Amino acid sequence: MGRVIVVTSGKGGVGKTTITANVGASLAKLGKKVVVVDMDIGLRNLDVVMGLENRVVYNIMDIAEGRCKINQALVREKHLSNFFLLPASQMHTKEDVNIETVYEIISIIKESFDYVLLDSPAGIENGFKSAVAPAEEALIVVTPDVSSVRDADRVIGLLENKGIEGISLIINRYDSTLVKKRKMLDKNDIVDVLGLDLIGVVPENKAVIDSENRGEILVLTTNNVATKAFENIARRMEGEDVPFLNLVPEKRGIFSIFKRGE
Amino acid sequence: MSWFRRNDTGSIAKERLKLILVQDRALLSPSLLNEMKGKIIEVINSYLEINQNEIEIKIGRESRRTTLEAIIPVKGVKKSHR
Repeated sequence: MGRVIVVTSGKGGVGKTTITANVGASLAKLGKKVVVVDMDIGLRNLDVVMGLENRVVYNIMDIAEGRCKINQALVREKHLSNFFLLPASQMHTKEDVNIETVYEIISIIKESFDYVLLDSPAGIENGFKSAVAPAEEALIVVTPDVSSVRDADRVIGLLENKGIEGISLIINRYDSTLVKKRKMLDKNDIVDVLGLDLIGVVPENKAVIDSENRGEILVLTTNNVATKAFENIARRMEGEDVPFLNLVPEKRGIFSIFKRGE
Repeated sequence: MSWFRRNDTGSIAKERLKLILVQDRALLSPSLLNEMKGKIIEVINSYLEINQNEIEIKIGRESRRTTLEAIIPVKGVKKSHR
């Protein structure tokens, strides 16, 4: 029986989809059988972030409405035989989703996977509710800005009311250079204010954008500090005690020019 | 002018965030909170002599725990209940 975890944030554009894809792939690299589910019905993105858009035949609404079996809708990732995508529908809206049906589909799927990651849409309306309904745990994604943390606080309240207990925090697009100059919210301040366990800090990194442009998953093609951050999240989810990366920028000395491109 | 403008915008963000969350996390609107205070005072007042000017009732939320805190200085038991 797999763990069902919703990746959510309240605010849009903080990197839920990127994190779902990369944490999912990192868990798969650890040998876990993983499926990532795009719950953003009507505005599907996870297929594009994973570069699988041309392989999508059926989607979760086709399962819900009886047009296909669960296995027919699952798309296998190109590099990993134990990593799958369940795409969202483009033709439906979030109001078309029946929460009970989604719940049933996910409870069948979790029987044959170690991890089911649900990529939630932004907002706190029906789309969010149906992404949260089947979840037993949650990963809250924030970026270091006031509006994102505020929305996360609201969402955490909703998840707690629903009885979800394992709620962990991921801070995305963290720029330690700015934090050091006191130009960005410090990760410790965000953790204090939200009162959650921090499970990962993903640094702002250009390679993340590059891989999305190419339709590749960063952790499967690149090895840099962001890859490491995603892999550490996966290992912590597996219960490993992994120290946090030291993201403090190196002092730029006279020889730093020789280190460029690292 | 801009010489005096604070540059540590990260700290400004932190202060703003704290203030915003205090408001967001308030369970009751100020008028409902006042209504509740009135009723609590009414009940207690029928049993105890209290100093109504020094009453402090507030809803607090630290991290993820919500509490109702009431400080009501008591002078003594009501004469009618002695």
